[in-house]
Formats: sequence, C-alpha cells, structure tokens
Amino acid sequence: MSHASSYPTASSAETSAQGEAETPLLELVRVTRRFGGLPAVEDLSFGVRRGEVLGMIGPNGAGKSTVISLIGGALAPSEGTVHFQGQDITRLSPHKRARLGIARTFQVTQPFAQLDIRDNVIVGALFSGHTRNRREASEQADAVLARVGLIGKAHLKGDELTVADRKRLEMARALAMRPQLLLLDEVMAGLTPREVGEAVRIIREINQSGVTVLVVEHVMRAITGVSDRILVLHHGRKIAEDAPDAVLSDPRVVEAYLGERYARERAAQQARLAQQVGGAPLPAEQVSAPDEADEPGEGHES
Amino acid sequence: MARQARQTPDRETAADTDRADIPAPRESRSWLWSLGIGIAILAIIGLVPLTGDQSTLSLWTFILMYCVLAQSWNFIGGFAGRAAFGNVAFFGIGAYTVSLLLLQNKPFWLGLALAPIIAGAFAFLLGLPVLRLKGHYFAIATLGVAAALGEIVQAENVGAPAGEISLTPPDLNFQISNALFFYGFLVVSLLTLLGTAWLTRTRFGYALVAIRENEQAAESLGIATYWYKVGAFVLSAIPTAIAGGLFAYWQLSFDPVGEGGAFDVTISVAMILMTFLGGAGTIIGPLLGAIIIEYLDQSTSIAFTSIHGPLLGALIILVTIFLPQGLVRLVQELLRSPAGVKQSYPMRIKQGVQRVTRFILSNGV
Repeated sequence: MSHASSYPTASSAETSAQGEAETPLLELVRVTRRFGGLPAVEDLSFGVRRGEVLGMIGPNGAGKSTVISLIGGALAPSEGTVHFQGQDITRLSPHKRARLGIARTFQVTQPFAQLDIRDNVIVGALFSGHTRNRREASEQADAVLARVGLIGKAHLKGDELTVADRKRLEMARALAMRPQLLLLDEVMAGLTPREVGEAVRIIREINQSGVTVLVVEHVMRAITGVSDRILVLHHGRKIAEDAPDAVLSDPRVVEAYLGERYARERAAQQARLAQQVGGAPLPAEQVSAPDEADEPGEGHES
Repeated sequence: MARQARQTPDRETAADTDRADIPAPRESRSWLWSLGIGIAILAIIGLVPLTGDQSTLSLWTFILMYCVLAQSWNFIGGFAGRAAFGNVAFFGIGAYTVSLLLLQNKPFWLGLALAPIIAGAFAFLLGLPVLRLKGHYFAIATLGVAAALGEIVQAENVGAPAGEISLTPPDLNFQISNALFFYGFLVVSLLTLLGTAWLTRTRFGYALVAIRENEQAAESLGIATYWYKVGAFVLSAIPTAIAGGLFAYWQLSFDPVGEGGAFDVTISVAMILMTFLGGAGTIIGPLLGAIIIEYLDQSTSIAFTSIHGPLLGALIILVTIFLPQGLVRLVQELLRSPAGVKQSYPMRIKQGVQRVTRFILSNGV
C-alpha cells in the first residue's frame, strides 16, 4: 500500500527511475496548467509505457480532459514539459504532434458532419504521414471501419450516427492515423453496457496490435477491465498510480472518488464473483480494503 | 449494471459475428455526376453566341463572369468555410493589372498572365495575418481591405484621374471580340469547374472540408489548418483575378468604386449569395447560383432599375430561410430520401425564420 502515500513529487522521482530502465513513450514532467490563475492540472508527472493501456480516472473537474489536451497539444502547459519518444513536444502544435504519432478522440464527439463516415476516416489516414494517396487512404479507411464495426454505415453522414457510433467514428478516425499513442477521452461515456463491452473489446484489440493507449474514463468497471495500470486524478493532482485492483482498494482513491457506495458495491461484487467463478480474483484483504477505507475517509472529512 | 458488465466477455463472440462480412457500401459517385452536369451546362451556354444577338451575348457573358467569381469564392467560402467578404479585391487587382499594362501599350496576354500572379501574391500576404482571425473578425478584415483598396485606387489616381479607366478597344470587329470575351470567361469557368472536381478528390480538398466542418478535429488529425486556409485563399484569388482582367478589356471603361466598379463590394456579396443559393462547397452549386441570380438581376435591373437592390436583399432572406444548404444538397437529399426531406423541411424552415428574425432583432431594426 505504499502507493497510497505517494505524493506527486515522489512519483516524479519514480518516473525518472523508470526512465533509466526504459524511456516511456510519453512523459509529463511536473506539468501545471492554470485557467485564469486556477490550476486545472497541478504539478503532474507520469509516464505512459510503450505497449500498455494506462487508464486515467477522477471525479468531474479533476482535470482529465485538460491532460488529454495538454498531450494532444490543444493546450500548452503553464509550467512543465511534455516528452514523446524522448523528444520535447511541449511547444509543438497539435497537427505536428499528430504527425509524430499521437492521436486523440474528443469527449464531445466532433465528426465532420457533412462528410460521410468513410470520408471522415479518410481524413484521418491522409494527414498523419503514411499515405498521401486518396485511393490508398480509402482502402485503409474501410479496413479501420471494419475493425470498429462501422463498415456497414460507411455511406452515412457524420451527423446521422447514434451516440455509440459517433464514439466509434472518433476511434476509427484516430486509428486511421496509425498512431503510436492513442488518447481516448471518455469514449465509453453514455454507452449501454453492451456497447461498453464492445468498446472494451475494440480497445483491447487496438492495444494488441501494438498501439499504446491512454484511456480517460468515467465508466469504472470498463476501465478496470481494460487497463494495465490506472492513474487517479483529484483536483488536478495525481493521488494514485498503480495496477487497477491496487488503485481501487487505495483508501485515498476510495475517499476522493469512488465513495462509500462504490466501496460496498465492489466488495459485494467481488464476493459474488468469487462464488460464481469459484476463485477469488483478489486476495481477501484487498477486497475488504475499500470498506476499511471508508472510516479514515470520513474521519478526514469531519 | 454490475451483471451486465460481467457479461461482456460472453458477448465478444456475438459482437464478432455482428461485424463480420458486412459489405462495404460503395463510394459515392456524386462528384462524377456533378462534373458531368457542370460540363453539360457550360456546353449549352457555349451555344449562346450562335444566336448572334448582342444583348443576349452580353447577358450571358456577365453570367459566366459571375460563375467564375462564385466558383472561386467557393474555394475559401464553400470548401474552407471562411466568411471572406473581400474577394472583390482580387477582381479589382486583376482589372487594374490588365488596364495599367494596356495603358502602357503592353500586350493583353501579359496582363492576363500577371493578374493571377499578383492577386495570388496579394492573397498570400493578406491571408497570413487575416487568417489568424476567427469568424466575424476575418469577414470584417477582408471587407475592409477590399473597400480600402478601391478608395486608394481612386485617391491615388491609379491609371487615370480618380482611377476611372478608359481603354482603347481591341483591334477587332466588336462582335468577334465580344464572342472572344464570352469564350474567355467560359474557358476560365470550365477550368475552375475541373479544378473544383479535382479538389474534392485530393488531400488538399479533404483538408479544406475538414477545416470547415471542425477545425479543432482537423488540427488533431494532422492537418496544418492555418496553411491550408492560406492556400485556399490564394486559390480563390487566381480565377477571380483572371475574370477581373477579362472584365477590364471587355468593358473598356470602369470606375474603381461605386456600382459596377472593379472594387464594388456588392460584387463580393453577389458571389457569396450565388454560392450559397447553389450550394457552398459543392461542385456545381456556384454555377447554378450564378446563373439564377445574375439572370434575375440583369432582367430586373433592365425592367425596374430601382427595385433590384431590395430584390437581392429579399433573395438573401429567402435563401437563408428555405435553402441554407443550397439547391444542390436539397436535390441530393431528395434523391436519397424524399420522405426524410418532406418530414424535416417544416422544421428547417422554422429554424430559418428564427435565424432571420434573430438577425433583424439583433440589429435593432
């Protein structure tokens, strides 16, 4: 449970220790972003390791989308630096970062409304540097659309899709860029459980094809299922960064984000799972950890 | 919720069958249809000189000139979606480039070759600062530059006192020269049509449309949005300047400002209205819009000179209410799903009326 007490400064030391072994694909070093004096992200340091799925969670207003924008380049940090493949990209424009291999989706989907779905994805293929030829881009677009299950709707316009399909289109367009790092900003928010399952499957497939993924999410169960590690943001600061189960049993996380109700729900769920599957996926003390965490949490508040 | 989430692994096989073997819908061929129709329209217009009627020829020469202007505006306004209100500047630059060279007894072709180069360079240098501006600010900046250019030409007596150009007619039978100017505009319009169709099939065109539809998303997909906008601005200047050059030698005398002047801001308004009526960002929309509006405008200005201004104003309101997407897109939608259009049209008209009312109210009328 040492991660529970890890402060942002301590974890930046951790990150640099990792750097000696293997340079992370993406690294944020002591990044702060203020809006009119108010910090949305404060002194945040973390790395995304090549080939992993890193999940990022946090309550509303924790700064998750700001982090995505800081990595994608839509926002510049007030302080700190962003590195990609060892290169300092802090001052690069979004389109240059895209060409380096960083692709993102938007929390509020941003389809090209008057273009059909295929053309939407062709745009993704044409400008990231691997092809300049429309015909090639069109073939690649069809392949990506098949992968995310949108191929049957390739002729529809961008504004004729359901919410779930719009999220898929966001992913398809980003995937067509053949990115090294894919930033997914709440692609599972607002989906039905069945659609969430489908999205999780797609993300796993994308990751298995060699793409490093940073998933920002509100849908807790989905993100724990898909992430190798989870980072928790609270008030723009990192309060935990560890394996999913360790993070979810972290008292600080439970207090800050998940709340009592979730802690109880999760314990009950784990118990049911243990009964049904016949094997506990977690050691008993970790399952019960959230419950214990409620007390220090409440004590802190009062 | 919890149960559903746990079931997701079981769903994987079902999802796999979902997406397998769905045939990819064919790519749209509407661009080929549009190009074919556009060429056919221009070919039919090309028969006009055979009538031998000079006033008809003059009417259709004006129509072709506006076709070129609307088609050019379509690059920056229709494809890139920037509200450029000063494209008449490029027209004026073309007209004065040709005039100044003719006044120095230089050949016409030299002026016609230099006009697009000078206007293109001007668009580039102007575009660098003004394309940093967003929305209305860009519109006002371009409008201001065009108006200022006209005033400067007048104040500095460019080419003639008060810039009022008067040229020696070409050394040809006037019927032949009029037909030649007609075909000159026709060729430029045809080339612009081919350029537009080509644009929809290229990386450059995709970039412009992506910028129009969503600049933030375009940038995140690797598009250097600023430079593509500058490129679209330059592209829209080139045919406009050639049309200006042809206009100068065809009309022989014209003023820099005021109605019918080479920097007359109503020319900018006309090209925008024409493009929107036909369909901004479509291949033949500007052609259709220019033909309809210029035909109406010329006919009404002959019959009742005093009302053709208000008539254009009314037309702007009607287009905003009934055809915000333009004729071409309405026809395309009707071909795809007539029932859908019938269902959504009353709502769209309501929205159009609201847009117009809001605009009028916000202007304190």
